[in-house]
This record gives sequence, C-alpha cells and structure tokens, in this order.
Amino acid sequence: MSAHHTSDNIQHLYEGDQSKLYSGVMAHHTDIKSTESKKQVGRIWKVFWILLVITVVEVVVGMFFSASMPRALVNFFFLALTLLKAGYIVSVFMHLGDEVKSFMITVLIPLVLFIWFIIAFLFDGGFWLEMNSSFPIR
Amino acid sequence: MSHATTAETKTWGGGRSPFNVSYGKMMMWFFLLSDAFTFSAFLISYGTKRFFSEVWPDANSVFHAFPFMGHANLPLLFVSLMTFILIMSSVTMVLAVHCGHYGDRQGVIKWLLWTIVGGIAFLSCQAWEWTHLAHNTGGLWGTFTDPATPLDKFEHFFKHGTITAANTNAALEASHSFYNYFFTITGFHGGHVASGVVLLIMALINTVNGTYDKRGHYEMIEKVGLYWHFVDLVWVFVFTCFYLL
Repeated sequence: MSAHHTSDNIQHLYEGDQSKLYSGVMAHHTDIKSTESKKQVGRIWKVFWILLVITVVEVVVGMFFSASMPRALVNFFFLALTLLKAGYIVSVFMHLGDEVKSFMITVLIPLVLFIWFIIAFLFDGGFWLEMNSSFPIR
Repeated sequence: MSHATTAETKTWGGGRSPFNVSYGKMMMWFFLLSDAFTFSAFLISYGTKRFFSEVWPDANSVFHAFPFMGHANLPLLFVSLMTFILIMSSVTMVLAVHCGHYGDRQGVIKWLLWTIVGGIAFLSCQAWEWTHLAHNTGGLWGTFTDPATPLDKFEHFFKHGTITAANTNAALEASHSFYNYFFTITGFHGGHVASGVVLLIMALINTVNGTYDKRGHYEMIEKVGLYWHFVDLVWVFVFTCFYLL
C-alpha cells in the first residue's frame, strides 16, 4: 500500500538484515591469521581427533570384544559413544554451541520426543516377539 | 497508544531477531530437525523389526569384505574407512565455514574442494559396497522371500551355529528385513550425500564467481555446511545401528 512496500525495499530487508544477523563466531572477523582464528582451527582439529579415536575404539570393540561381553553392556557402550560423537558434531562443527541459549533450547527440545519414540517402538517389537513365541500361529 | 510502544520493545513482538540468527539459517536448522525425525523413523522401525525377530544377521558376518582383498575376512574395516572419509569431509567443511567467517575466498575454495572430494569418495565406497553385497550375498530389496531358499544361502549372515531347524523361517524373514532396511536407509543417506555434493558444487561456483564477496558475507557456506554436518551426523547413527549394535 505505502511507498516502502516496493520490491527494492523488501530486498534490502532480507539482504541487509542477514549480514547483521551473523551470530556467535561469525561476528566481525577479518584476519584469518589472527590468534583467535588459529584457536578456532585448533579446536576443530581437536574435535576431529576425538571423533577419530572414538570411532577406532568402537570398531576395535565391535571386531574383537563385543562377542564376549554382555549384550546390554555392549549396547550401552556403543550408544553412549554415539551420543558423545553426535554432541561434538552438533556443538562444535555445526556451531550450535556458539548460538544464543534460547536458540539451542528451541532446536534441542523437540528431540525429547525421541525418548518416547524409541522406548514405545522397541517395546512394541519385543511384545510382538513374546506373543509370537508364546502363541505361535504355525 | 501506549500499547503500540510496548509491543515494539518486546523481545518476541516482531521487528527484531531474538535468536540472533538469520531467517535462512534458522530454517535450515528446522529443516534438519524434521529430517532427523525422518531418519529416526527409519532407524527406529529397523529396531522394532529387530526386536520382533528371534534371530538377526550379525554385522561382522555380513560386512567383512574390502576392495581388491578377495575373500579375506576383514570385518567392519571397509565401513570404518567410509566413516573416516565422512568425518574427514566434515572437518574440511567446518574449515571452509571458518574461512568464510573471515572472508578468505581462497581458503573457502580450497576446503570446499576437499569436501567435495570426500563426498564423492564416500559415494564411490557406497557404490562398491552395494554392488558387492548384491553380487556376493544376493541381498537387495525384496530378496530372501522364497520359503524354498536353501539354508546355505543365508545361514552365513548369522553368528556361527545360531540357526537351527526351529528358527530357519525366522532367519529367512530376518535376512529379508535386514537387507530391505539396509538398502533403504543407506540409500536415503546416500541420496542426502549426493544432494549435499550438488549443493557444495553450487556453493563452490558462487564462491569462485565472487558472489559471496559481493553479498558481503559467506553465510551460504555456513548453511550448506549445516546440511553437510547433519549428513555426517546421520551416518554416525546409521553406523552404530547397522554395524555395531
């Protein structure tokens, strides 16, 4: 209706605001060789080594030890390491750890649904197995 | 009216960015969240089927081949290599994002190229693994459905000595489900990797053309990076569910 609703101004709103909205580590850096930059790169490589070591440990346990260990312990071990890896990827590589807290919470809260999702469906599978073994059709 | 003035100063009243992220980046996060639910629906359904079965194929028995190594028994080695390639490409991606933060065009180009190489290497590995499984184990979508399938066609997917006359049918069904889920889930993941490579190539062309310098920021690299890391993240879970648990 009014004059400021021209396409030029809308473009300005999108393009102009985007650059102002750089958050966390994004804000106002110019010197790639600065100590701050090198610290960031060091952190990235540190996380790489952590991820690599965790994966090697998982594979070694999977290849040689998992057969002789109690199943529940093995599963707990693998799932804990998987979640640890996921945490590092999301927090450092995806920079979620550098976002504002309210955004972190907004992204993470829906994941709570997984607790119900996993428990309900795995129990359902277990229940079917029990029914099938107790009352076989064949 | 005083009502209008308070609305302007409210955090969530509009006209400001309480999350301090751009629209595009926030929407990429929300898209990835929805994609996480799609992948988890696949993986949890795989888990349900597995809990439902008396027996289930053993990863060390199914995945034990390596290119050019003939029939050598090398459990989990090839998939470890694939995992390494994907983690490595995630590192080169985050380094490209880092260079983007500093407006370092040459750095962005270098690390994007390495990430593309990693993505293509991963897809090639997956192509080899699929071909190998289809040719050497007979497993693909919809296989192992014929009740007359001889036992020696699928007995070796399971831990030695676990298949008896009583659970032969269950083992056949489990082999069928296992391969269906394996090809569907790794295929869906591979599709994500492939579209990620396309996005990376598009971002690379824009970087080379100086589009992001003109725009004044390299946020597009960060958004493509989020997608790429998510693909790596999904692989972490696929790896655990199919090869470790």
